[in-house]
Amino acid sequence: MSEQRLPTTRALRRVIAEAPALRRGLGLTVALAGIGTTIQVVVPIVVQRIVDHEILATGGVDVGGTLTLGAIALGAMGVAMVVRRSALSRLAVRAAEGLSDLRVKTFAHLHSLSVLHVESERRGSLVSRVTSDIVAIQEFVDWGGVGMLIGAAQVVIAIVAMLVYQWKLALLVLAGVLIYAAMLVWFQRILQRLHDQVRRRVGDTLAALSEAISGLAVVRAYGGEAATVTKVEAVIEKEFDTEVRTFTVGAALFSSAEVFAGAITAAVILVGVLTGAAEGTSAGTLLAMLFLVNLLVEPVQTLVETLDQAQSAAAGVRRITAVLDTPVDVPDPVDGVSLPSGALDVGLDGVRFRYPTGGDVLIDVSVHVPAGARVAVVGETGSGKSTFSKLVTRLLDPSAGVVTIGGVPLPRVRFASLRDHVVFVPQEGFLFDATVADNVRYGRPQASDADVAESFADLGLDDWVASLPDGVATRVGERGGQLSAGERQLVALARAWIAAPGVLVLDEATSAVDPALEVRIRRALDRLIAGRTSITVAHRLSTAEASDLVLVFDRGRLVERGTHGELVALGGVYAALNRDWMAGTGV
Amino acid sequence: MAEGPTTLSTAFRRGMRLLGYFIRRHLVAFGLAVLGAAVFAAAIVASAIVVGNATDSVIVTVLDGGEPIKGRLLPAVGAVVGVSVWKAAGITLRRSGAGYLQFRNQADVRVGLVDRMLRLEMAWYRRQSVGDLLAIGDADASQATFILAPVPYGTGASLLLVGTVVMITLIDPILAAITFVSLGSILAIDITGSWKTYEAFQEVQALRGEVARVAHESFDGALTVKALGRETYETDRFRRTSHTLRDRLAHVGLIFSAYRVVVEGLLSVVTVVLLVAGALRIRAGAVTPGELVSIAYLMSLLFIPIRIIGYVLWDMSHSVAGWERVQQIMTADEVVSYGSLESRAWPTGAEVHGDTVMFGYANDEPILSDIDLTIPAGRVVAVVGPTASGKSTLARLLARLWDPSAGRITIDGADLRDFARSALPGEVAFVAQETFLFDDTVRGNIAFGTDAADEEVWEAARLAGAGFIDELPAGMDTVLGERGTTLSGGQRQRIALARALVRRPRLLILDDATSAVDPSVETRILEGLKAAAMPSTVVVVAYRRSSITLADEVVYVEDGRVVAHGTHDELLATVPGYARILEAYEEDAAVRAAEREAQT
Repeated sequence: MSEQRLPTTRALRRVIAEAPALRRGLGLTVALAGIGTTIQVVVPIVVQRIVDHEILATGGVDVGGTLTLGAIALGAMGVAMVVRRSALSRLAVRAAEGLSDLRVKTFAHLHSLSVLHVESERRGSLVSRVTSDIVAIQEFVDWGGVGMLIGAAQVVIAIVAMLVYQWKLALLVLAGVLIYAAMLVWFQRILQRLHDQVRRRVGDTLAALSEAISGLAVVRAYGGEAATVTKVEAVIEKEFDTEVRTFTVGAALFSSAEVFAGAITAAVILVGVLTGAAEGTSAGTLLAMLFLVNLLVEPVQTLVETLDQAQSAAAGVRRITAVLDTPVDVPDPVDGVSLPSGALDVGLDGVRFRYPTGGDVLIDVSVHVPAGARVAVVGETGSGKSTFSKLVTRLLDPSAGVVTIGGVPLPRVRFASLRDHVVFVPQEGFLFDATVADNVRYGRPQASDADVAESFADLGLDDWVASLPDGVATRVGERGGQLSAGERQLVALARAWIAAPGVLVLDEATSAVDPALEVRIRRALDRLIAGRTSITVAHRLSTAEASDLVLVFDRGRLVERGTHGELVALGGVYAALNRDWMAGTGV
Repeated sequence: MAEGPTTLSTAFRRGMRLLGYFIRRHLVAFGLAVLGAAVFAAAIVASAIVVGNATDSVIVTVLDGGEPIKGRLLPAVGAVVGVSVWKAAGITLRRSGAGYLQFRNQADVRVGLVDRMLRLEMAWYRRQSVGDLLAIGDADASQATFILAPVPYGTGASLLLVGTVVMITLIDPILAAITFVSLGSILAIDITGSWKTYEAFQEVQALRGEVARVAHESFDGALTVKALGRETYETDRFRRTSHTLRDRLAHVGLIFSAYRVVVEGLLSVVTVVLLVAGALRIRAGAVTPGELVSIAYLMSLLFIPIRIIGYVLWDMSHSVAGWERVQQIMTADEVVSYGSLESRAWPTGAEVHGDTVMFGYANDEPILSDIDLTIPAGRVVAVVGPTASGKSTLARLLARLWDPSAGRITIDGADLRDFARSALPGEVAFVAQETFLFDDTVRGNIAFGTDAADEEVWEAARLAGAGFIDELPAGMDTVLGERGTTLSGGQRQRIALARALVRRPRLLILDDATSAVDPSVETRILEGLKAAAMPSTVVVVAYRRSSITLADEVVYVEDGRVVAHGTHDELLATVPGYARILEAYEEDAAVRAAEREAQT
């Protein structure tokens, strides 16, 4: 998910492409804002006329003329207010809309990547992609975007007017503008680097905060408060340094617009006066030119100010497009096929898996699991058995070889169909901050509360549900924190049960439930597994014993296969494991 | 936080208090920034004089008067450039000072938040959502300090405003009264407008927290989301929250744009009104046309200050909304209090004693009641009981993650609450069911918070059965979470165990901390612990028979009470509940064996 060096203008165009709501009616909005701003410029001109021609009128102040012109100015102002208000509110609504869309799009794309479940430690910084990075863009779109367009238009109008007045002086001004623009281009490159750095640092800070907050219980348990504060402080100080540096450079950049204004004014006076006699320039013409210079300088200052915001926004865009441009590593096929219902067979042929930068996790695994078979996968930690279960459920794609279910290669199966027919129960039953029923329904959205209650009854857990304060309506708290780890497993099992899949893959799902309870679940699971294909990453001897086929993994290879009895007789890896189990469980 | 509806004046007072607080903390930066604003204001006046001078003494005299240039041109032009440099210096000083003020305070607020959260009780933490806390540290901390950027300019602008009003008063009291009333109404409109968005903005900040909460939770549960194919559902859930935020933001934007336009329009209206009134005053002979022109010029100078003051007022209401959420944490008073007892570092395991301990997480039913328990020094004790019997809670109380609501827990006679913060880790270490590893190297994760030497880290890793560290790409220096170095649940648990062992605690509490470790590995670890020269009392919340039989004693817990305490054999013989749990596997295995035989 590397950031490309997307130039600022391209980055901003990209935002509009990704969030079409921003573009909707943009022309009208810009036109309205332009009209409003133009009328606003008229007002000081009218005020100037009142002062020059009515108040300082020869023969005393002209009250009637003052009133007339004043009424004109007020009327113009009223129109300008209505028009500007409509432009600003259109902008506010569209900006909110477009950026919300972009936020949701980024969120959805992140979920389609495997980074979230593979690199769990990086989640904190990924949250910033849908929070603070979006805010950085919002600040620009709200204030800068249209202002930039109008400002640019004002510069062009002023230059055209100058060309009409006195083209030689106008060319001088134009040359000045071009030199300054060239300087800005050079300057903004520095600023761009700084802003990219700021956004990265903001992401780092968020990751550090996230880690300190999520890990608060661990910090407390190990007495690591001081170490954690020091660590977070170091990251925050880095962000502070970068932000202050960027802000100071931005301040210098902004103030350079003043020097530019002074230099242009001085140059026009200097050249105008020196060539005045030769060119026949009158004082009036030169003063008018100075007025136009003022008209030109003001939007340039605003533009420079906006440039800073634009850089910050572009840096945010780059971080977001880095997400959006990361190809989906496990894509949903176009024109995918559906799996037939019922128990299905699972086949692996020459499957190899390795992370891009790591060594092989699985090597040359070929195996066929007949439909309806009960399979136990065993092996030491790190033997590749968990990766095996993720390949079968297509949470990962193999680096080589093919996995088939019901004879269909997994990459050809529609996701919706795959997730309906193949359910994976991860090691830690993750619960959302909702009710028990909602969490069970996560396995089948259309299930009613009665269905949920029934699934618990089927699993023989109705008395456990009855012991909860509000039955299935009990809230489980963040990450299911109101329940014990064992209870979370119960909910996760009910969730798998209600999904009624044809292939069930369980990864050490029952490791933290006390034996008495586990036996009951096991009995319920026996009913669940009946008529389905099941693959269980087993930690218990009894699971392996009860299965039709045991697959033994060792250092990434499938080294033994057979029934419990056959493998014990073989006297290999499984037999050794079995001896440990015997010692551990006393069976 | 004040209860009941907030009135405009209390919100305003809160805003001023917020400003006072941040400014006092970094007075020098604020002073420099205001100085920059003053320098800039003076430069504006100077630039009017300089350009006027160039017009009168050079442009008009030379071009229209036909006079020779002589030495007048270069000084006039030089003055124009000089003043612009002067302005630029003022701007740079003001902005840099304001930037420092804003970002320094923002950094301080964030560090303060983390520091505070780490001091608060677990009971407080349990009521929070991680995503929302994260949003407070992120969006609210920056929103609270956002106001500091325009404040120095605003302060400079206020001075200019006062000066202008004084000057107009000196010219004509009636025109001054009109100016005063008009400017006052504009500011009043700004204040009411900002107040109108204040409540909407409070909602916006809360919704930002909600967006972060949903994102955080959803990313956290990514494996479950994917395993059940619920990405679309999650996206819909996120979209709903994001769109609610969108609607509130649009609402704020609509109010803001209306007020903005009105206030900026009014400034022009006031100028026109002043000119008309001035024309009447001239006719009445009260002022001269020249004086009115001065007033018009002074008014034009006020356009920017009034706008800046308006920004400050609007930002203030938004900053207060963020600050209030920050304050929810900073003023939470459930701070864990520690005693002053130093670690005793006795070369023995700790003797643990629980004296009529009661505990409940909330006000509802107690989780633990009347726990009386003595664990002799150096023993390995297994805590066994059915699901939800209170085993884990007891383990947390022994580690002082929570405090009993009644009764006390002592180590060698000293109440856990009497120990100094720094002393506790050397006395008690706790390893939880769920492992949390930091985005750091393996070494950093094990040594976490200590200055353990390399050999101590390796020794702890060895005892924890974490020999696999050798095989990681960079060994101890492997950064966890980088692609290709993801660890299995069992490996993670062993690193967490090493993290506890490196502290050489006198009391080690393992709350089902080896559940994902293979039984044979677990057995090796527990045997290693017993054999090691670690003077430690070990409490294991255990499910596996292997862990239980390795223990010297067993504490059997049921419904939040200690039902029995003795050796495994004693309990097996005398406590039916205990026997049921332990024998469940055996019965199950026997039934299965019988079933298999029946089939054949």
